[in-house]
Amino acid sequence: MNATFTLLEMRLITRDWGGMFFTAVLPAFFYLIFGSTVESRGQSIGNGNVAMYVMISMAAYGAVTATTSIGGTSAVERQQGWGRQLGLTPLADSSYIAMKAVIAMTVAAVPILLTFTLGALTGARGSAWTWVLSAVLCLVCSAVFAVYGLLVGTAFRSEAAVGAASGTMVIFAFLGNLFIPLSGPLLTIAKFTPLYGYAGLARYPLSEGYLSDGSQDPLWLLVLNVVVWLLLFGSAAVYFVRRGRERQ
Amino acid sequence: MTTISGTAAGASGAPAIELRSLTKSFPPRRGSHDERVRAVDGIDLLVEPGEVVAFLGPNGAGKTTALDMVLGLTEPTSGTAEVFGRTPRVAVRSGSVSAVLQTGGLLRDLTVRETVRMIASTYAVHAPVDEVIDRAGVSGIADRRVSKCSGGEQQRLRFALALLPDPRLLVLDEPTAGMDVTARRDFWETMHADASSGRTVVFATHYLEEADAFADRIVLIAAGRIVADGPTDEIRSRASGRTVSATLPTEGLLRAVERLRDLPGVRSVEERAARVVVTASDSDVVARLLLGELGGTDLEIVTAGLEEAFMALTGDDRDGPGLGGGPVDPRGRRMTALHADPTHEEELVR
Repeated sequence: MNATFTLLEMRLITRDWGGMFFTAVLPAFFYLIFGSTVESRGQSIGNGNVAMYVMISMAAYGAVTATTSIGGTSAVERQQGWGRQLGLTPLADSSYIAMKAVIAMTVAAVPILLTFTLGALTGARGSAWTWVLSAVLCLVCSAVFAVYGLLVGTAFRSEAAVGAASGTMVIFAFLGNLFIPLSGPLLTIAKFTPLYGYAGLARYPLSEGYLSDGSQDPLWLLVLNVVVWLLLFGSAAVYFVRRGRERQ
Repeated sequence: MTTISGTAAGASGAPAIELRSLTKSFPPRRGSHDERVRAVDGIDLLVEPGEVVAFLGPNGAGKTTALDMVLGLTEPTSGTAEVFGRTPRVAVRSGSVSAVLQTGGLLRDLTVRETVRMIASTYAVHAPVDEVIDRAGVSGIADRRVSKCSGGEQQRLRFALALLPDPRLLVLDEPTAGMDVTARRDFWETMHADASSGRTVVFATHYLEEADAFADRIVLIAAGRIVADGPTDEIRSRASGRTVSATLPTEGLLRAVERLRDLPGVRSVEERAARVVVTASDSDVVARLLLGELGGTDLEIVTAGLEEAFMALTGDDRDGPGLGGGPVDPRGRRMTALHADPTHEEELVR
């Protein structure tokens, strides 16, 4: 680990106000709209209440937007020649990846902290371990989408594509049952989409898999969804990284 | 040939760069039926410590690919590259080689100083940040964002980054590409000021005057091969020459061309419509033959520009079928005379 390098990278991210708005502020704003104003916000679910359910969902959305964007930006900046510049230094690939992972986790923590703080102030209630566990799950599992960002960045090699990838998180979030409680055939389809397992896992400490229509997702289904998407993103990213290297 | 290995050899006796039968080919573009592109097609080269060497060649000659292999950024398809007797990666990690890359990207939103600090942090030991900023001549713009720097300023920043490990070998890949004349001159002045330290410098360029002004030795590269290699003055005198042209009667033209080719000092004979164009070191002999025996008219003698001569010698002739991409004789790669490559000379004759 290299503190100077990591801190300068962090400073670079804070300079991107537009990016920070979408990753940190927007999810918190969504929470205020969807979570703290709905009539049923005080109604209890599992180990907490509806406001908390919405809070976790929005925090999860913010975290994946952040990790997608950081994964994608890293891939694009490496391909635009920064990788060659770093290739002239003693910096090992493994320490570069470790630093990027620390940065991605740090930035993903911002929307989680912000949304959770707002939640605590505006009526989200739950048991102490539900707060802690859901925050940790939000953070750790968001790493899957850093790989997704990496994949998009490597495949399309442009900042615009990375922006679009972050943007598609809105669609995945909708299909992942994050914004509106889905039901019927749409819910069945949703269970195969990439954010569904992640969101379900993040809310599991609170809801234990129960959905608004009364059905319950088993833990293995949520874990399987996350693992399968991680493998898919991971192998596709490896494919594109190799293809890119061949053509250097 | 002895193989040098071990750290002791790496520290003292080993050449700065040793390339043996180096090749690199790339897979064809998806969907095309082309064969693999051979960017570097068998290069043998020895650069001793302290030499200042120019890789001179047209765009696409394979200069960048060759230098990438020297820096360990690309693995050779076959052959080996060693830097101070060690593999390029080891040399880079130890800070004994660094480079200013043509396509070395920078992070747009960092300032100049932040960029230097960031790269400096990757070295265990490095020159002070303010010192390299000063030596590269970017102290005046140290707090400017990279995105606000001109191409020349960014190139100086890359130079500052390259100075950080105080390398024994400095590689510059087209360091002045895209700069205007003033920026180019300023950049080389900075380089000159720094070169006194006895560093080995290898730079790629397609500007002959840059190679001429800065290098002790020129390695001429075309189509992935070394076509000439020698001291700068020698290469320059070989590259220059005169072009004699005249209109000849159509009957007996073939025989006339044969005669001209047999003259001493003639490098190429071309037919352009009704005219023959002869490049030769002794223009008087050619002119005498053309006007006398061969019955030529409208004689013209032109001192070939260095650029033109260089283009002709490296085979970068756009309307020349069979030039450039054509087969090149594999013999005699390390030569001191451009005209000593008979195959290349034949190719120039149409």
